[in-house]
Amino acid sequence: MNHQPSQERGKDMSHLSEEQLDQIIAVERSREQEPLNEWRTIAARAREEGLIRESQSSRPWSSSQPWLQAAAAILLLIGGIAIGRTTIALPSALESSATNTAAAPTPSAPPISPAANRAAATAGTASFASVDEAADALNRAVLEYQRASQYIAASNTTTRTTDSAEYYSARAAALDKIVNATESALQTAPHDPVINQYYLATMGARVATRQMVAVGSRGF
Amino acid sequence: MPFDQLDLKRAILGDERAMRRLWSQHAPHIDAVVRRLCGDPELAADISQEVWMQIFRALPSYRGDSQFGTWAHRIAVNRTLNALRKIRRIAKLEIEIEDDSAITENDSDRTFMAESIEQAMGKLSPGARAVFVLHDIEGYTHGEIGEELGITPGGSKSQLFKARAKLRKLLAHLVDESPTVAGKGKGHVASV
Repeated sequence: MNHQPSQERGKDMSHLSEEQLDQIIAVERSREQEPLNEWRTIAARAREEGLIRESQSSRPWSSSQPWLQAAAAILLLIGGIAIGRTTIALPSALESSATNTAAAPTPSAPPISPAANRAAATAGTASFASVDEAADALNRAVLEYQRASQYIAASNTTTRTTDSAEYYSARAAALDKIVNATESALQTAPHDPVINQYYLATMGARVATRQMVAVGSRGF
Repeated sequence: MPFDQLDLKRAILGDERAMRRLWSQHAPHIDAVVRRLCGDPELAADISQEVWMQIFRALPSYRGDSQFGTWAHRIAVNRTLNALRKIRRIAKLEIEIEDDSAITENDSDRTFMAESIEQAMGKLSPGARAVFVLHDIEGYTHGEIGEELGITPGGSKSQLFKARAKLRKLLAHLVDESPTVAGKGKGHVASV
């Protein structure tokens, strides 16, 4: 029971008009309200009933685990560099980096470029202030890698051999399969950072390889 | 970010993030109708959990014939009314309608002044509140309300008339008083 002064006021109060009530209803209709429960309460129930599947919600690359994203990013960067070196038939960056500290480059392999050395060194020693900063660096590296792969594929003719055409065709076919697989995975997980990065890196490698195949078909 | 078909597929597969996105986007509206129909925040919170479980369970049956919000809203109304029936709050509705009375409070409540329409709705009988919420706030027709509540469209109209009459009385103090306002009903409605 409400015993406030409002009760007293109400004794000689008239009714609202229909229009005034409609005004109040319109305000109520558009009033934003907080949800009645927190998500964790709903999620706990859904989990109990098996509506939330752990395999779907706790994948290791979940955005809620940024350190795993960062680890995956570093792995990808190192892998990308290694693939890149292999693509242009050069020693891997990491191997070269180690070799360079002990001995001069062998005559059979071209010297490692300063840029490659910088990339390899960065992979080992980089420190970032945040995951966002690391992700930005990774995206820049992927783009740089793609551009470099395409440029080298178009320009470098020093290491081609007679069996290169068959060799690059096989690689192009393999990359096609990887692109198809990652494209398919992106249908299910379009925002997944690891799949996206692999997709981009593979696309870059495929473009470069196709250019090599095209050059090879014109006669190595 | 809007909830799209891909999110829907992922939610059906049990992806928590997709389900949470769905809930975040629609909970304010879905929970609001549950709260209004219940008139009791604690009961509404319990029923809201049931509503969301039902929405997630039923996701595979959503065909996209209507907006997702409309589809989920319908589940919320059905589930809430069923829950209220189960705890025998709606059971009084049929009796009240037959008695042709939407006002259950005693005479001392006639001078009660609600501080908000939500509080005022809490003073309506469960049946009258359901009719008022569904018709005036949620936009249901009297035919649809009749189907939901198992009453005739005429019974729904009658309940609405009585509910509005009571609300006009309970909320009268929210209007600035002046002879013109009180007499012609064009006063300023204070913030509710």
